[in-house]
Amino acid sequence: MLGGIVGGFDVEMAKIIVQSLLIFSAILRVFLIFYGQWLDSHLEVRYTDVDYLVFSDAAALMATGKSPYERSTYRYSPLIAFLLMPNSFLHQLWGKFLFSAADLLVGLFIHTILKLRGVPENLCTYSTMAWLFNPFTFTIGTRGNCEPIICAMILWIIICLMNDQMLQASFWYGLVVHLRIYPIIYALPIIFILDPLHFQPGKKTVILYWSSEKSMSSWGSRTSKTTDLRYGWSTLTSMFTWRRLMFGIISGSIFFIVTGLCFYLYGWDFLHEALLYHLTRVDPRHNFSIYFYHIYLHYDHDFSSVEKLISFLPQFIVQLVLIFLFARDLPFCFFLQTLAFVAFNKVVTAQYFVWFFCLLPLILPWSNIELKWKGLACIFLWIGAQIHWLMWGYLLEFQGKNVFIQLWIASLLFLAVNTYVLINIILNHVYCPVFKQLNHTNSNKTMKHD
Amino acid sequence: MKIGHNFFFHHCCKKDSLYKILRRISHAMEVQHFQIQLYLAIRFGLIFLVMSSNAMPTTNEEHTCRGEKYITNTYFKKHDSLIDSQFEEFIKHIISLGLCQVLQDKPQFVPILLAVHRNLIGEGSHRQLSSSIRIKMQGESASKLPAQSCQVIMVERLPSGVFADPFQLQHLVQRGVFSDAAVLGDTNLELPSFRSNRSVVELHMDMGSNTSSGCKDELEVNLGLPLHARYAPLGHGFSKVEFGQPDLFMRCSFEGKAINGSCLFMPINDGVNYTASRVVWEVPCGIEEHAGIVSAVTFLSAIVSALLIVSTSIYHSGNMNLK
Repeated sequence: MLGGIVGGFDVEMAKIIVQSLLIFSAILRVFLIFYGQWLDSHLEVRYTDVDYLVFSDAAALMATGKSPYERSTYRYSPLIAFLLMPNSFLHQLWGKFLFSAADLLVGLFIHTILKLRGVPENLCTYSTMAWLFNPFTFTIGTRGNCEPIICAMILWIIICLMNDQMLQASFWYGLVVHLRIYPIIYALPIIFILDPLHFQPGKKTVILYWSSEKSMSSWGSRTSKTTDLRYGWSTLTSMFTWRRLMFGIISGSIFFIVTGLCFYLYGWDFLHEALLYHLTRVDPRHNFSIYFYHIYLHYDHDFSSVEKLISFLPQFIVQLVLIFLFARDLPFCFFLQTLAFVAFNKVVTAQYFVWFFCLLPLILPWSNIELKWKGLACIFLWIGAQIHWLMWGYLLEFQGKNVFIQLWIASLLFLAVNTYVLINIILNHVYCPVFKQLNHTNSNKTMKHD
Repeated sequence: MKIGHNFFFHHCCKKDSLYKILRRISHAMEVQHFQIQLYLAIRFGLIFLVMSSNAMPTTNEEHTCRGEKYITNTYFKKHDSLIDSQFEEFIKHIISLGLCQVLQDKPQFVPILLAVHRNLIGEGSHRQLSSSIRIKMQGESASKLPAQSCQVIMVERLPSGVFADPFQLQHLVQRGVFSDAAVLGDTNLELPSFRSNRSVVELHMDMGSNTSSGCKDELEVNLGLPLHARYAPLGHGFSKVEFGQPDLFMRCSFEGKAINGSCLFMPINDGVNYTASRVVWEVPCGIEEHAGIVSAVTFLSAIVSALLIVSTSIYHSGNMNLK
C-alpha cells in the first residue's frame, strides 16, 4: 500500500512534504523550548541542560570583556560562548533557538545527502524523520546542548566532499575539530576517500546511486578483487596526492589558527579547559563507560602506561579496522566509527549519543534490517540497556545505595548491546561506496597489475 | 538611607571579584587530607555592624570597604586552605583583624542563641543541610530595632566529603532564598574527596523576609544549604561524612544612630543551648576488594567486544566482495 502512495510522489509533492516536515519539527521545538521554560520555573528538576547555564554564564563574561574560562566547568571553545553572547543582551533563550535551528539544519542536510546519493524520495523522508522526530535528539537541542551545531558541521563536510568542494570541506573540518576534538577520528577516512580514483583532474566525480536491489552484488562481482588491488596500489603509490595534501594543510592550518587565536586571547585557561581536559579526561564518577568503576577503584594511584595502553588499544584497533574496510562508504564508516568510539570511550555521557544519531539516517536506506522484528529488537535492547543502567544510577545517586558493582555490570551490558547492535548493522548493511571509480586513466596500469 | 548604605557596602567590595579569589585559592592549594575535627570547641558569635545612616556617603564607602562583604574572605586572604584550628583562631580574633570593633561601652542589645537544630534532608548524593536557628533579642533597643535591618550570617565549614555548588547558590540568591552566598576554599566540583580540599560556605539571610517570630523578641531562621557528595575514598560500603557546627553572626544596621564605623561582637556560651545531634552523611564508596576483578573483567570485555567487531567486519567485507 505504501508503495502505491510512494510511487505517486513527484518532485513538487516531495518538496511540500519535506517543507511541512521541517515546519512541523520547528513548531515542536519552539513548543519544547517554551514548555521547558515553564518547567524550569515550576519544578525543582531543571529541563534546561546544566551546560546551557554554563554556556550562558561564560557568554555573559565574554560580553563584558572577560574570559569565559572564569566560569568554572566551562570546557568548550570560546567560539561557543561567542555564539551565545546574545543570551546576555538579547534573550536567554537565544542559544536554545540557535541550537534547535542547527538541529533542523541537520534534518535538511540528511535529506540533501540522501538525495545526492539517489535515494528515492519516500526513503529520504523516512530517514529524515528518524532524525527530526528522534526523542533523544530534539530534547538535546531544546535543552540547550551545543551538539546539534557539531552534527550540522559534520554533515555539511560530507556534503562538501560529495560535491567536490574540497576547500570548504577542509575549512569546516579544521573548525569542527577545534570545537569538539572527537571528529579527529574522521581524518583518515576523509583522506582515503580523496582518492585519485574518485577525483581526477578535468573529470566530474560520479556518485554511485542507491539501488533498489538491496544487494550490491553487481558492484561486488564487477570490481571485487581488481578494485581491491587497484585500490591498495593507488593508496600506496599516491598516498600523497595534491588533494590529500591540500586537505591536510588547510584543515590543519584552520585548526591551528583558530586554536592559536583562542590561546592568544585566553591563554592556558583555554588550552587546559577546552583541549587538554578532553584529551586526558578520566572520570571516576559514574557514567555509561565500562571503565568508570575501574578508574574510581584506582584513582589514588597513577595509571601505569600498560594500563593506559590496554584501555586504549581496543578503541584504536576497532577504529583502524573500520576505517580500512569501510572508508569508501563514508557515511557508513563515520557512523560505525562514532558508535564504536563512544562505546569504548573512557567517559560516556548521554549527549555523546547525538554524535551517531545524526549519522544513523544516512545509512538506513542501505540497511536490510527489517523493522519487524530485528530492527525493533535492536532499538528496544539499546534503550533497555540504557534504562537498566539508569535504574542503578538512580539508586546510587538519588537513593544513596551502594550499587557500584551493579552499575558497572550495567555498563558492561550496555557495551554488549552496543556491540550487538553494531555487528547487526554491519551484517545487514549493503555496502555502497559514495563515489564511482573513474577507470580510464589507470586502466592499463591495472590490467598489467592483474 | 539604609538601602543606600548597603548599596555602597556591597558595591565597592565587589572590586575583589569572588571569581578571582576562588581561582587564586584553588590554584594555590595542594592536595591535602584533613581529619574532620568534630569535638573542637565551636564559637558562636554575633556581630553587630552598627551602621550610620547619617554619615556622608564618602565616609560610608571608605569605612565599609575596609571590611569584607564575606567574613570568610578575610580568612582566605591569609590562609590558603581551611584548617579548623586556624579558622577558630581567626574567629576568635575577628575583632583585631579589623572586621569590626567592639563597642563594649554601648551594648545596644544582646542576641542570645536559643537553639540550633540541624538535619540532612533527602537521600543520595544531593541533599540539603537544614539549619533551624532560634535567637532571642534582648536589651534596651531590641524592641526598637526592626528585624529587617538585621542579617544572620552562617559560616559552614564543610567536611571534604561534600561540596556546595557556588553557581547553584547564586541561583538561589537570585530567587531570594538567601540574601548572599559564597563558597570559598576548594571549589572544584568534580574531584573525589581524597583529591580535594575543604571549602567554606557563607550564607547571609536578611531577617525580615525569611524568618518567623513565634513570640516577642524571638526569631527563627531556617537555612537550607544544598550540598553534593564527592566520591568517597574506597572502603567497605559507606564512608561517613560528619558535619561540625556552624559559626553564626549577626550584622545589623541601625537607623538614626550615628555610631560611625563600629560594630559589636558578642560571644555566646557554646554548647549550652545546643540541641542539635551530630549530622552524619553516609556516602556509598567503592569497595576495595572489587579492584582486581573489576579491572580484569573490564579489560577482558573491552577486548572481546573489540575482537567481535573486528572479526565481523572482516568477515562481512570478505563476503561482500566474494558475492
